[in-house]
Amino acid sequence: MSSEQISPTSEPKENVIEISGLNKWYGSFHVLKDINLSVKKGERIVVCGPSGSGKSTMIRCINRLEEFQRGSLIVNGVEMIEDVKNIEAIRREVGMVFQHFNLFPHLTILENLTLGPIWVQKKPKQEAEQMAMKYLERVKIPDQALKFPGQLSGGQQQRVAIARSLCMSPQIMLFDEPTSALDPEMIKEVLDVMVELADDGMTMICVTHEMGFAKKVADRVIFMDAGEIVEENEPNEFFNNPQMDRTQLFLSQILEH
Amino acid sequence: MKEFKPLPALPAPKDTVGMGVWVKQNLFPNLVNSMMTVLIAGFLISVVPGVIDWAIISADWSGTSQLDCKKDGACWVFVSAWMQQFIYGSYPDEQLWRINLALVVLVLVIAAPNVLQKELRNKLGVPMFLLYPFVCAAFLDGRMFSLEYVSTDYWGGFSLNVFLAAASIIIAFPLSFLWALGRRSDMPFVRSVCLILIEFFRGVPVLALFFMGSVMLPLFFPTGTSVDKLLRVWIVLILFMSGYMAEVFRGGFQAIPQGQYEAADSLGLSYWQKTLLIIFPQVIKVSMPNILATFVMLFKNTTFLLIIGIFEMLSTTQTALSNSNWLGGHATEGYLFVALVFWCCCFSMSMISNSIERKLDTGHKN
Repeated sequence: MSSEQISPTSEPKENVIEISGLNKWYGSFHVLKDINLSVKKGERIVVCGPSGSGKSTMIRCINRLEEFQRGSLIVNGVEMIEDVKNIEAIRREVGMVFQHFNLFPHLTILENLTLGPIWVQKKPKQEAEQMAMKYLERVKIPDQALKFPGQLSGGQQQRVAIARSLCMSPQIMLFDEPTSALDPEMIKEVLDVMVELADDGMTMICVTHEMGFAKKVADRVIFMDAGEIVEENEPNEFFNNPQMDRTQLFLSQILEH
Repeated sequence: MKEFKPLPALPAPKDTVGMGVWVKQNLFPNLVNSMMTVLIAGFLISVVPGVIDWAIISADWSGTSQLDCKKDGACWVFVSAWMQQFIYGSYPDEQLWRINLALVVLVLVIAAPNVLQKELRNKLGVPMFLLYPFVCAAFLDGRMFSLEYVSTDYWGGFSLNVFLAAASIIIAFPLSFLWALGRRSDMPFVRSVCLILIEFFRGVPVLALFFMGSVMLPLFFPTGTSVDKLLRVWIVLILFMSGYMAEVFRGGFQAIPQGQYEAADSLGLSYWQKTLLIIFPQVIKVSMPNILATFVMLFKNTTFLLIIGIFEMLSTTQTALSNSNWLGGHATEGYLFVALVFWCCCFSMSMISNSIERKLDTGHKN
């Protein structure tokens, strides 16, 4: 597998993610209510909504960082069931970038990137390192390869985290508020990398409040509140002509400033 | 547009740096602290010269028997005459090289991870480390290496303290990590077994455990087999140590942010890959000060073995003190020597642990 696979292809756009009737409870608290969502290959989706609306929980279900109680979830043709092998197979296809980067602090940047390819995909070390350097160049920090995460700025750490996911050659990338923990000056450098990734045709689901990013790259924007998908539409329609009053209220609040 | 130029950095004012300022700030900052300084200085002046005189100037250093101690000071002859017993116990004279060799190898095994390269460290260093206690025990025993057989009745002295502590720590280290993992496990059976083990060995006093080891443990072995006393003690030490270390590790586990598990999961690492590659190194790093404290505690606890008649250093000292040729109050010298030897070892362990901590520090603050 190489990065060529994530470039736009002419093959039929089949659904890579198929969520139907997904329900999740934390104890007796109903966090996700009857979520239905399908994502086509190469599609870029932005999920927004107030905090506590279940948007992070929803994308965390996709690689089974959260379990769900009802409904079905099919990722890349594999149905998610309670089985370790099955879950690991899905996780290999899905990359994830977290709000707090979650780099491994005891490993160098290069080791952070090669860990997955070497131990999960059983690639030879040299090949893994070459690929890691290629992705580090893509996120524009090849010169930091031998440093430790603690020595990098937040923006650089987040770009390393993106490169770490890409090293696994995932079919789908999930972003869980990737810029929420960053200073304004660093948000741009991370968003630039994400825009480039989108331009290359990667299937992406991003939970983010960066509406500029949504307008620029999203094929679809999803608005969630109280564990439900309230509205989904293509960005132009979504921002200029929201159908639900809840969406309108949310947009007016975040666009005010 | 105007250009932004940061102001130049100036040197610190004269009255905030220098020797005089340090003395003023640290020794005489106010009336109460100045009085404390004077009192402590007075105490040191009145005590230290006496101690130096007793321990060094008026002390007897050379000789072979009590009669060589003529001055009023310390009789270090007692220590030098019994030195071999203190260090090697009753191990036969012509076989002492085996103990020396085993000690040297122990130092090498401990030093290896710091010297070896990363690849070799895992492939060579770790197995060497884990095999050491067994090979060392077999070597000192001798039969397996077709050397002269030395029964464990003759093992003793400070070398026995070192071997017992090292052998217990080495085995307890992985065992306690497994217990700590088990205690966090999702499986109720594994969790309760580990919980019971940990709480039992932490909750029972170590002396009681030693007595159980020497009296009760044989009841659990099949009839007809007799298990060496030292082996039983070793098992008790391992279990006792594991109980404590497991709790140390548990503290370390709790310091690891949830995000580390999630990141490892999202890469598709298996449970053991995640545990050994991501979690274990970070747990070691956070727990290092407590791991060392537990090591030191166990090392010092090996002197309790005198209670059940193992000839470790403290009990050798007591034997020497009650020897008819040395009656005459050398207890101060004897116990001081024991204290000094243990202190030196524990202090070196502190130093080693500090250097490991510095080595593991990658500038990351969670």
